[in-house]
Amino acid sequence: MSKIFGVALGILAAIGGFVDIGDLVFNISAGATFGYQLMWVLPIGVIGIIVYSEMCGRVAAVSKKAVFDTVRERVGFSAGLGALIASEVVNLMTLAAELGGVAISLQLLCGLPYRWLLVLAVLGFAIVIWVMSFEWIERVFGYGGLCLLVFAVAAMKLSPDWGKLGNGFVPHVAQNNSLLYLYFVVGLLGAAMTPYEVYFYSSGGVEEEWTPKDIGLNRANAIIGYGLGGFFSVALMTTGAALFLGHGISPEHLGTIALGAQVPLGTIGLLLALVGILFAVGGASIDTVFSGAYNLAQFCGWEWGRYRTNANAPRFTLTWIVLLVLGMGIVMTGVDAVVLTEYAVIFSVVALPLTYIPILLVANDEQYMGRHRNGRLANVLGGVYLVVIMVVALSAIPLMILTNVGQN
Amino acid sequence: MRTLSSLQQRKVVTESGDSLGRLYDLRGELTAQTLTVTGLVTGKRGLLEHFGVLPRSTSPIPWGDVVRIERKRIVVRDR
Amino acid sequence: MTQIDIALKVLDHQILDRDGRRCGNVDDLEIEGGPGETARVTAILVGPGVWPQRAGWIGRIASFVGGGRRVRVPWGEVREVESHVILRKSAEELGLGRGDDRLRPWIEKIPGAHR
Repeated sequence: MSKIFGVALGILAAIGGFVDIGDLVFNISAGATFGYQLMWVLPIGVIGIIVYSEMCGRVAAVSKKAVFDTVRERVGFSAGLGALIASEVVNLMTLAAELGGVAISLQLLCGLPYRWLLVLAVLGFAIVIWVMSFEWIERVFGYGGLCLLVFAVAAMKLSPDWGKLGNGFVPHVAQNNSLLYLYFVVGLLGAAMTPYEVYFYSSGGVEEEWTPKDIGLNRANAIIGYGLGGFFSVALMTTGAALFLGHGISPEHLGTIALGAQVPLGTIGLLLALVGILFAVGGASIDTVFSGAYNLAQFCGWEWGRYRTNANAPRFTLTWIVLLVLGMGIVMTGVDAVVLTEYAVIFSVVALPLTYIPILLVANDEQYMGRHRNGRLANVLGGVYLVVIMVVALSAIPLMILTNVGQN
Repeated sequence: MRTLSSLQQRKVVTESGDSLGRLYDLRGELTAQTLTVTGLVTGKRGLLEHFGVLPRSTSPIPWGDVVRIERKRIVVRDR
Repeated sequence: MTQIDIALKVLDHQILDRDGRRCGNVDDLEIEGGPGETARVTAILVGPGVWPQRAGWIGRIASFVGGGRRVRVPWGEVREVESHVILRKSAEELGLGRGDDRLRPWIEKIPGAHR
C-alpha cells in the first residue's frame, strides 16, 4: 500500500516538475498567436518524451548506464565529445533561461531588484543542493509546481471555445503566417522533449540501481507522469488562446504570462501562478544543472551522483557549482529571459538527435539489452520519432532565422 | 607497441590489393588473466554490426592472416 | 574464456576499482605483438593525455583543459570485464582518480561536505 503511495507521490512530483520555462513561454505564446490551432502538437510532444525517456530508463535498468556513458561507448570518443560539447552548451543556455525565469518570478512576487534576487536564488539553490537530500528537493519543487494547476482552473473560467479547442487537436497547418506556425510547431516539440530531462531521468535510474524488474514501473512512471504533465501544456495554451488571442497581447514577459491566471482569478490566481512558476522553473534549474554535471562526469569517467556525498564526488560537485555560476553570469549580462528561452529551446531541438540516435541504437542492441531490447512497438515509435526529431532538428534554425526568432 | 585507436579506421587490403574495408574492431579472447587478439572486424558490414543495426558477423579475419601492418593500412593474406 | 569485440566491450567503458569506485574510462588500449606473433592487449590507457590520439584537434584542446595526465594500467590489473571494467586494486594504488583525490580536501573544507 505504501508502495503505491510512494509511486503516486513520485508521479505528483513528476507532474509538477514537468513544466519548465520553455513550456511556459511557448505554450502561452502559441495560444496567444494561433489560438487552439497548435493543440495537436502537444500530444506528439508528450508521446515523444515518453518514448525517449522509456528507452533511456530501460537502458539504465538493464545496462546500468546513463545517457552519456552509453553515448560514448556506442559512438566512440570523438563523436561522443562532439555530442557532449553540444549538449553542455545547450544545457547552459537552458539553465540560464530557467534562472532568469526564477529571478523574474521572485521579482514579481516581492519587488526587489532583479540582479539581487538572481544572486539570492542561485545561492539558495546551491545551499539546497548541497544540504538537502534529493528526495526532498524533488518533493518540494514538484509539489510547489503543482500550483500551476491554477492555470487549468483559469483556463476553464475563461470559458474557452471548446469546439475550437477540440478542433485544434486535428493536425493541420495554418494558412496565413505558415512560417511562424511551423516555428511554433518546432518550439512546442522542443519545449516538450527537453534533453536535460532525459539525462536526469536516466542518471537517476542508475543511481537508484534500477534492475530489469523496475522496467514496468519506469514505463508507468513515464507514461503517467509525462502524460498528466502534458495536461498542463494544454491548460497553458488554452489560457493563452482564451485571454490573449485577438487582443494583440504577446506574452513577452513572464509577468504577462502570470496575468493569464490573474485576470480570471484575481490576486489569488496571480500569487498561485507566480509561486507555481517559481517552483516549477526552480526545480527545472536544479534538474538542468545536475544534467550538465552528469553528462561531463559520465563522459570523463569521474565519480558522480546525488547519492554520493559532496566530498565523494568532488569533480562532479565542482561541475554543478561552476555551471550555476556560469548560468548566473549569462543572466547577469541582462539578456532577456524570454528571448534566451526561445534560443535555448531551438538549440536543444537541434542537438536532440545527437543523443537520441545512440540511445535508439543501444536500446535495440541485444548484447546490451538482452531480451529487454526494443520490441516492435518501441521500434515503430522509436523510428517514427527519429524521423520527427530529424525533421525538426534540421528545420529549427532556418525557421528561427526566417521568423526572426518568432517575431515575424 | 600500438594502440587500439591507432589501428581503427585503417584500410584492410589483401596481398593482391583487394580491399576488405576498414578496421572497425578487434575480436579478442578474454581469460581471467589475458585478452588476446584473435581477429579483425572489418568492412562496411563491420560498421553496421558495430552499431548493432545488423547482426554480428561470425567471421572476422583471423589475426594469423595478418601479413603486415603499415602506417595507413593492414595487409592480410589473400582470402 | 569468452570471445568479445574489444572496441565494443572494453574501449570507452567505465572503469571501477575493487571498491566499486568510478575512476576513469578506458581511453585507449595498448596492444603488443605484430603479424605472425600472438597479439595481446597489454594495458589500459586512461586520462586526458590520451585524448589527442582519439579526437584530433578537439581532443588536444580537451586534453589541455583536462590537464593532460595519462595513466597506464597493466592489463593484469583487470579482474573482469562486465558492463564496466573492474580492477583488482584500489584506484589510489593504480594512480587513478587523482583528480577527485586532489580536489576532495578543498570540498571538505566547506561545511556539510559529507551530506
